[in-house]
Amino acid sequence: MNPTTVQRWALPVATIVLVAVTFASLAVGDLTLSMQEIGDGLLRRDETAAFVLWGIRLPRTVVAIEIGLALAGSGLVMQAYFRNGLASPGLLGVSSGGAAGAAVAIGFGWATASMFVVPALAVAGALTATLAVIGLARRGASTERLLLAGVALNALLGAVTSYMLSNFTISYERNAQIIFWLLGGLEDRTWTHAAMAAPVVVGALLLWPLGRPMDLLSLGAREAQTLGLDVRRLRRQLLGLATVMTALATAVAGTVGFVGLVVPHLLRLLVGPEHRRLVPLSLVAGAAFVLGCDLVVRAADGLRLGIVTALVGGPFFLWLLRRAR
Amino acid sequence: MSRLELTNIGAPNRLTGVSLALEPGELVGLIGPNGSGKSTLLEIAAGLLPEATGAVSWNGERLEHIPIIERARLAAWVPQEAQFEFGFSVRAVVAQARYAWGDDGAGVDAALARLDLTELAERPVHRLSGGERQRVLLARALVADPPLQLWDEPLAALDVRHGLEVLHLAQELKQRGRTVVLSLHDLRAAHCLDRLILLDRGRLVAFDTPERVLTPERVREVFGVRLSTGGGLNLELA
Repeated sequence: MNPTTVQRWALPVATIVLVAVTFASLAVGDLTLSMQEIGDGLLRRDETAAFVLWGIRLPRTVVAIEIGLALAGSGLVMQAYFRNGLASPGLLGVSSGGAAGAAVAIGFGWATASMFVVPALAVAGALTATLAVIGLARRGASTERLLLAGVALNALLGAVTSYMLSNFTISYERNAQIIFWLLGGLEDRTWTHAAMAAPVVVGALLLWPLGRPMDLLSLGAREAQTLGLDVRRLRRQLLGLATVMTALATAVAGTVGFVGLVVPHLLRLLVGPEHRRLVPLSLVAGAAFVLGCDLVVRAADGLRLGIVTALVGGPFFLWLLRRAR
Repeated sequence: MSRLELTNIGAPNRLTGVSLALEPGELVGLIGPNGSGKSTLLEIAAGLLPEATGAVSWNGERLEHIPIIERARLAAWVPQEAQFEFGFSVRAVVAQARYAWGDDGAGVDAALARLDLTELAERPVHRLSGGERQRVLLARALVADPPLQLWDEPLAALDVRHGLEVLHLAQELKQRGRTVVLSLHDLRAAHCLDRLILLDRGRLVAFDTPERVLTPERVREVFGVRLSTGGGLNLELA
């Protein structure tokens, strides 16, 4: 296919796919709903359908879209920031920070106090991780320094999570909770979760006009500055957006890997490197990807969202690596 | 009013106390052994070294008072080497120079043609050879066509013909009143420039016409080589 044809149709096709999986997400489950029933349910003309949709499936769908936006958006941002197509929210230790925060909250039993404790500590953990990386890399923020700081933080925060798991073996229940959360999932998500992650939508909108500046940044900070870009300001904006978006996604759905890595990477192969195209496309495709994976989760017993995204993303990523050589 | 004025500029362990002023329509060479501070001088002149000391002025205005977007309209900096990621096309990279003008795309085709890149325009930059990439960077500097051009070893990776083309381009810019500073190692090419800045171990040794800078004694002292003035120094495009 002609590359310009792909470029022109990528966003419309991704949007259609997103709409389709959204409908599927509303229709599929223990009780399969027809288009008619979905309409009636949304308008509360059918009580059973209304209960299933407004009480269970709509919030779950909204949360899925939100974390798709967040993870794919922040993945794209981090790839531009580090000028490296293999970068992802997990790279900086942001996801690990969120996981460690949640593990601490559950492990010490604080989670029972309020449903906001786990997300709050997850956000705190993720933000701490990012601030630590920025602090470590402040003097001469070379890519290598940032990446190595991320590696070290991932190890450190992973150790915190492991300690919580090994230290609280007495409480089987808490351990199960931590593991459940670490696997990432959208089970039992409510409107409260959807509201908690809502700032992600604002983040996605703020990302929209940064596509062109991201092009310049991805060709090197110094070149970008001589071409008229306020690099320091853009970097702050990008890192802030990526961190908050990842933290909120991790807070409401646990650790869901590979979305931020694979979605922007695949789209770049499809439509080329220009971020004006990649930003909207990554957001829409990220949302569709997470929703699609969640449909698989619902269709099979014992699966979790984090497992499915890794099962899809892992091999795909290995294929990418092989292909890139 | 000088186009570029450097007052006692320096950077720790790299460059010390260099002061000089360049006028509009001047084509200036920057020479010196490896590690003598050529790239550092250009980076400071372009406002790219935050740790630099001293003062830099463009057209009589202190650099720190010029907004970043305005700087892009006043000067272009060509790095010695650039890392390209994500497979941007040659055209996309060159067109980036119009960012400060709202991405109007003006002059991109002409700049591509001038640097012999029209055929390569849609190719991803990271697939090009070193010399081709260097021409891409020069084309990007040409698109912006600012009054001040700062080129860090633009000839390093170029073949003979393209090297001469670039020197011609620099002459052409000078005739249009642009100020061009370029670092180079080819002393014969340096001889065709208006003035030369000679650096050695981070210090300014001389700033004068090529004849006065490149004396056999000084060349021996700074570069440790013997210069025979008997041979011709002419360089011509074939």
